[in-house]
Amino acid sequence: MAKQEVESEVTGNVWKVLKSTGDSVEAGEVIMILESMKMEIPVEAPVAGTIAQVLVAPEEQVEEDQVVAILDS
Amino acid sequence: MSWDKEVQELQRRRYLAQQQGGEAGIAKQHARGRMTIRERIDVLLDDGSFREHGRATASPVYDDNDELLEYVPANYIVGFGAIAGRRITVGGEDFTLKGGSPNAAGLRKSVYAEHLAVQYRTPLVRMLEGGGGSVKGGGKKGGTVGEPVFTEPRFKIIADAMGVVPVISAAMGAVAGFPAGRLVASHFSVMTEHTAQVLIGGPALVERALGVKMTKDELGGAAVHLRSGIVDNLAADEHDALAQIRRYLSYLPSSVYQRTPRYQVDDPVDRQEQALLSIVPRDSNTGFDMRAVLQMIFDTDSVFEIGALYGPSQICALATLNGQPVGVLANDCLHYAGAMTAEAAQKYRRFVEMCDTFHLPIVNLIDQPGFMIGPESEAAGTIRYGMAAVAAAAQSTVPWAVIQVHKGFGVATAAHYAPGAYILAWPSVESGPLPVEGGVAVAFHREIAAAPDPDAKRRELEDRLREARSPFPRAESFAVHELIDPRETRPVLCEWIEWIQPQLDTLLGPTHFPARP
Repeated sequence: MAKQEVESEVTGNVWKVLKSTGDSVEAGEVIMILESMKMEIPVEAPVAGTIAQVLVAPEEQVEEDQVVAILDS
Repeated sequence: MSWDKEVQELQRRRYLAQQQGGEAGIAKQHARGRMTIRERIDVLLDDGSFREHGRATASPVYDDNDELLEYVPANYIVGFGAIAGRRITVGGEDFTLKGGSPNAAGLRKSVYAEHLAVQYRTPLVRMLEGGGGSVKGGGKKGGTVGEPVFTEPRFKIIADAMGVVPVISAAMGAVAGFPAGRLVASHFSVMTEHTAQVLIGGPALVERALGVKMTKDELGGAAVHLRSGIVDNLAADEHDALAQIRRYLSYLPSSVYQRTPRYQVDDPVDRQEQALLSIVPRDSNTGFDMRAVLQMIFDTDSVFEIGALYGPSQICALATLNGQPVGVLANDCLHYAGAMTAEAAQKYRRFVEMCDTFHLPIVNLIDQPGFMIGPESEAAGTIRYGMAAVAAAAQSTVPWAVIQVHKGFGVATAAHYAPGAYILAWPSVESGPLPVEGGVAVAFHREIAAAPDPDAKRRELEDRLREARSPFPRAESFAVHELIDPRETRPVLCEWIEWIQPQLDTLLGPTHFPARP
């Protein structure tokens, strides 16, 4: 099993976290939704796997390329 | 006395020149999961259409009696062939010989490929695999070094070709040095996912110069270059790469002197998709799938996206509308809210210049809140690349149709209108100098600050402005040609395609600003 980092592509705020530790996700499945530029921006799983860790919480600010979750894939 | 003896010898040499790196070299290539250059050419072209140029090129080695001891074929293969019945020029390194690094005749033929394509006005397809020059060839004492001062720079024809014929390159193995330069000097490039790398300098050079140990894949594999923008599309394997090249060429003319092809299609021009009526959410903060919009408007299965992972807020694609090839621009609000980032702007400019060069009409579906803002965006120099995109649109000479789908704010929006554009809007359009939310905070900051409850005041002002944001005044003021039911988009665009046919007849020849890498 490999650890896969999930990054935010954009600076913004965490709006909703849809998955938690232990949830399995398909590639492309939305893990959380950020709010940036007045839009809801989904953060998708780059590969299929299981959520090992969610590193941010709602209303928290994130930066471009910040790791926001870790997947076991 | 006939010339039979020489003719037989010629046949033998042609045969020898086709043996590539011999059985061992070919087996090694196959073991790497790759085809040889001759196999690639066969797969790319229509059956039996290859007409090689320089069939006997090689470096012969003779014994004292002038008998042929060894015959090393030129390691670059070039010639004409056909794709869907249209002539193209195709060339590529033979990696089974000397790792693709050019031998003497091979170098001559590789430089010839661009000349051939430009002279006969055919698209050029390069199938690249190999390194650049080697220091081994230099250092001979006596004799001449370098090129004569009056020689035309070798790179001129590479640059010139991009203004005359479609140039497509595929990375099908490690492509380093000069071949990497040729790869990007293209209108479209593709690389295989697992068997190709693109490198300015390979691992040995990098370790020597920088003391950094990295593999070829870490330096220049697919994961690096789809995001760097160096390569447009990823291919699952070589067959997929070659199929993508055939597809890309189907949208383009053979040269700037010809019109784009036009196809017979079964998709009715009056097809109206019900889903278009509700695809843009009424809540303007919620995103939607712009690619689904494209599928509903353009001819069935005709949308071919280019560079999806680079500058992802901007979609660039080729498609057909009632059989007429067009360039498609659209925004993906699920990335950067559709904003123009530095990368999206570079992708946009390059694509518009390609469309202009080959006189492809452009259809642009806008949902853009403006330039991307914030510290990363400023540091990336977004405004310069953005204005280059604006300039490319403003000086474009091909027909444009613009559909204001949703947002269109700020200076970045100027990049979406060429002179004479046919402008349509959906009822979901929102536009102005700034989005209401940010705009209110800036324009009314004193009023908001002075209010007993500033937040409530800001919300009140935003609501008032939002209510006033009706789509009708722009139609009434002739600020758009038509405000349309989104379901009418395909029929309206298909009619526009017929309107522009006389213009397309007269748009032939080179542009003032040819596409550059």
